[in-house]
Amino acid sequence: MGGSSGPRLSGMQRQVLGLYRGFLRAARLKSIEDRQKIESIVSAEFRHNAKHVDRKNFLYIEYLLRRGKKQLDQLKSPDIDGLSSLDVGLSQTHHTKA
Amino acid sequence: MAATARNALLKYLRVQVEAVPRNPSTTSSSVFLNSFNALRRHFSTEEVRGSFLDKSEVTERVITVVKNFQKVDPSKVTPNANFQSDLGLDSLDSVEVVMALEEEFGFEIPDNEADKINSISLAVDFIASHPQAK
Repeated sequence: MGGSSGPRLSGMQRQVLGLYRGFLRAARLKSIEDRQKIESIVSAEFRHNAKHVDRKNFLYIEYLLRRGKKQLDQLKSPDIDGLSSLDVGLSQTHHTKA
Repeated sequence: MAATARNALLKYLRVQVEAVPRNPSTTSSSVFLNSFNALRRHFSTEEVRGSFLDKSEVTERVITVVKNFQKVDPSKVTPNANFQSDLGLDSLDSVEVVMALEEEFGFEIPDNEADKINSISLAVDFIASHPQAK
């Protein structure tokens, strides 16, 4: 994402980064072990999409944002370790293509 | 206007300061004036009470955190390094770096501020002017 472009970010980019930050914050509240798992899955998911999703495919990115927000809300619940719901997210991205 | 802003700020400070007792190792009493001026620029209010970290200490700790970031070549980390053009980080990496700085300094950086921090010097300026940094 972003490449060498300066600090100016589009609204959508800021939403994506905000979502990423939200996941990392939520992960902090889990056990150390869960936190590491969540961080690696979330990071892989965001990087995968940053690389493979066409940056002009706004509809699809909006869909991913909505789905991510829902997953984040679930992850924030104290009795969820986050892994199974995120696994579903990962497998879905393999089918969807811009 | 200025009065309401000040009250809002004071309230904000009071709640947060007692909430996060992390990093007890650092002293908070040293060099007040540098950061005080920085804060004046930020909030244009003169009577904010709080403790500020010494800017050189902040620089040193920020550099240590960034050097420890696994994607960074430690030899490229200088006080003026830009995360993207000098250190080769992308915007997701920058989010991770800023999150690591939050943990190092024991306070939360709001999204709109975090999005602007894309270099060591901007990170240092922000943290040194922030009374909650520990």
